[in-house]
Amino acid sequence: MDKKTMLVAEHIDKRFGMTHAVNDVSINIAAGEVRALIGENGSGKSTFCQMLCGIYTIGGGTFTLDGQQLHIRNQVEANDAGIAIIVQEMGTLSGLTVAENIFLGHEAPFMHMGIKDTRAMNKAAQKLLDDYGFGRIKAATMIDRYNFEDRKLVEIVKATYFKPKILVIDETTTALSQNGRLELYKIMDQVRADGRSVIFISHDLGEVLTRSDSISILRDGEYIDTVNSADVTEDDLKRLMVGREIGSAYYRADYGTPVSKEVVLSVKDVSVPGEIEDISFELHKGEILGFGGLSECGMHEVGKAIFGASWNRRGSVTLADGTAINDIPTAIKHSVAYTSKDRDNESIILNESIRNNVVLPSLDDLANHGILSGRKLTKFAEEHATNMQTKMQGVQQFVSDLSGGNKQKVVLARWIGKGSDILVLDSPTRGIDVKVKQAIYALMADMKQKGKSIIMISEEIPELLGMSDRIFVMKDGHINGEFMRDPALSEEDLIAKMV
Amino acid sequence: MEKAKTRDVQQSKLRTFLAGDTFKALLPLIGFVIIIVVLNIMTQGKILTPKKLRLLFSQIYYPTIVAVGVFFVMTLGSIDFTEGSTLGVASLVVSALSFINIPLAIVGGILCGAAIGAINGFFHVKFKLQSFIVTICTMYLFRGVCAYFTTETAVPASAAIKALDNNGLKIGITVAVLAIAWFLFRFTRIGNDVKAVGSGETAARFSGVHTDRVKFLAFVCAGALTGLAAFVNVIKVGSITATAGNQLETQILISLVLGGLPITGGAKVRFSNIIVGTLMYAVLNSGLAILGYDPQTQQLIKGIIFLIFVALTIDRKALKVIK
Repeated sequence: MDKKTMLVAEHIDKRFGMTHAVNDVSINIAAGEVRALIGENGSGKSTFCQMLCGIYTIGGGTFTLDGQQLHIRNQVEANDAGIAIIVQEMGTLSGLTVAENIFLGHEAPFMHMGIKDTRAMNKAAQKLLDDYGFGRIKAATMIDRYNFEDRKLVEIVKATYFKPKILVIDETTTALSQNGRLELYKIMDQVRADGRSVIFISHDLGEVLTRSDSISILRDGEYIDTVNSADVTEDDLKRLMVGREIGSAYYRADYGTPVSKEVVLSVKDVSVPGEIEDISFELHKGEILGFGGLSECGMHEVGKAIFGASWNRRGSVTLADGTAINDIPTAIKHSVAYTSKDRDNESIILNESIRNNVVLPSLDDLANHGILSGRKLTKFAEEHATNMQTKMQGVQQFVSDLSGGNKQKVVLARWIGKGSDILVLDSPTRGIDVKVKQAIYALMADMKQKGKSIIMISEEIPELLGMSDRIFVMKDGHINGEFMRDPALSEEDLIAKMV
Repeated sequence: MEKAKTRDVQQSKLRTFLAGDTFKALLPLIGFVIIIVVLNIMTQGKILTPKKLRLLFSQIYYPTIVAVGVFFVMTLGSIDFTEGSTLGVASLVVSALSFINIPLAIVGGILCGAAIGAINGFFHVKFKLQSFIVTICTMYLFRGVCAYFTTETAVPASAAIKALDNNGLKIGITVAVLAIAWFLFRFTRIGNDVKAVGSGETAARFSGVHTDRVKFLAFVCAGALTGLAAFVNVIKVGSITATAGNQLETQILISLVLGGLPITGGAKVRFSNIIVGTLMYAVLNSGLAILGYDPQTQQLIKGIIFLIFVALTIDRKALKVIK
């Protein structure tokens, strides 16, 4: 290629304690190139980019941008050097206006002798928003007034208005709806047309193939290869990421197997003000019941309501033996498990060891007349974490050190350890790579075989179609459609009931 | 070149160690040794004489009992500023009841403390007020109650209770409290529950921990133990003045933090923090007194040491999740 080189990364290295997160990675990115960076959870792609953007200090090696070696200490300096990042989670600050968020760290042009010219700032911000086509977002409004998606759009403006030489998009698309994604793609194309470059991180391989020029693959912190997007297929990428062939058995393959008539859980007229209204259904033994819909349709609240975790719930949730579930301890005691979409806050205690996370719901079972034995707890945690093939240094390791996929394995290990018969899994594969996804699907199929019942709430339609015996589609807090497992069922059928 | 590389590796290893958990866990013990050595040199060995040691130990019984209760509250990631005023009010109750009979005085003191703890816990849990705000308000309130009864003259206790003043009883109570609390913290789900709430309250709730109940009971327990400590205090002092228990809460807070208890609570809390901390505070206290510093200077020095310790031991990663 005779194109100008935009970014040269040489021998980039980073360790976190014992973990070698990024191991001697060297990459060149050309001007006007959209380079995708893919790899499983924990492969080091985010860490690599966060070093480039000044979020982490560089462990070793050098970045050279447009012929200049970088010495960046924080994100503002990164912006000044021409590097911007859009992150996966919330990247805007509450309590500030939209305009203040956009110009955070770059207020100087609006300062006159130490006093901020709010009007000029708002005007400049509004112009940017209008130019991007986000005119409905008002610059002077508090950012808190906007939903997650709009805040992401503000973040996109913030990261790109100063025309950075390199734009890093770190798994942002998973948080966006189709519309938001299209906006982001437009901006990526714009950056490419200007002769600047994009580093694009995503787990959605279809998106990676259609949106990038070339793809670099990382595995366990090491650089594997860079390929042209036009020359490869999704299966090629999966093989490169995992290092072996991924079988075709991704979802369960059986169709037409009857589900038991035995009801294990009845939900009757359940409402949570402002979230869901009059939800009623029955869950059968050995059934995988899917819940789909748009992000705000209320399906996530259904999971919480069943688990007794909703504030202000009306209606009843009863088990086959007549036990009413109104609070979390009762739910857990009677074999109901719940994994949240908000994994880091609700499913797991980050600042705690794997061991103590795994044993927490089972403490009453593990106690002998109320007395706990440390050795027994460790053995229990080791057994279940190992069964889930959690990648860890030991059960004393803190969960905060683990990658998303491994955290989810710890979450599942605790409920398998508890022996729960009814599992409410909210977005079980959110932000998780193919290999762990496959393991989770296999686990779900296995649990179904063993007569356990699963409610799977998911924003991913293929996974609903592939795994569920029955699917409820929700809209505006109501159940808007019911589908039985059928190979002829298509994504369009479900979408039609969602919007 | 090679040499420089080895040195770099060694330096980075040292840096990792200094920033790491092992070092932070050892810091209290290292600090304890340093304080003893330094004070021993400065006082020319006077601090370690049997007489001084006996005096030193006589000062730590009731703060240790109080620290055990506060330990549970701080493991939750909460804080309790009411110990001093609770001790004052409970001491008044103990003194008054000591004229009827001694067991009643003990029970009365504990119940009085537990009631104050229950008020703290109730406002903290039901109204979702931060614990430091609630307990600063109640501290002010009960300080007032204590002052109301003691402004005219000191309130005396009965002769019977003063006759109990012997080390055996005080050591017995202190050791019993430590042993029971250690057992509960280490071998029952109580310890796991408080640590879980301290590390991540929402996730703990979703794991089936009765978070509200745990929080409420921790405050009741802190109050009740302060009530018991009031009994030990009355035995020693015999009469209650307006300053009874003054600044006790600060003393306990400093002790526990010196002992290595992270002020964010949670997973890294160790039961030994109580013992190391209260001993360290007592040694520091008596050392500074032997050196002849006046109380104001002592307070200044203790404040500086406290600040340094918090800065060195605080877990900045955990701070981010504290609401």
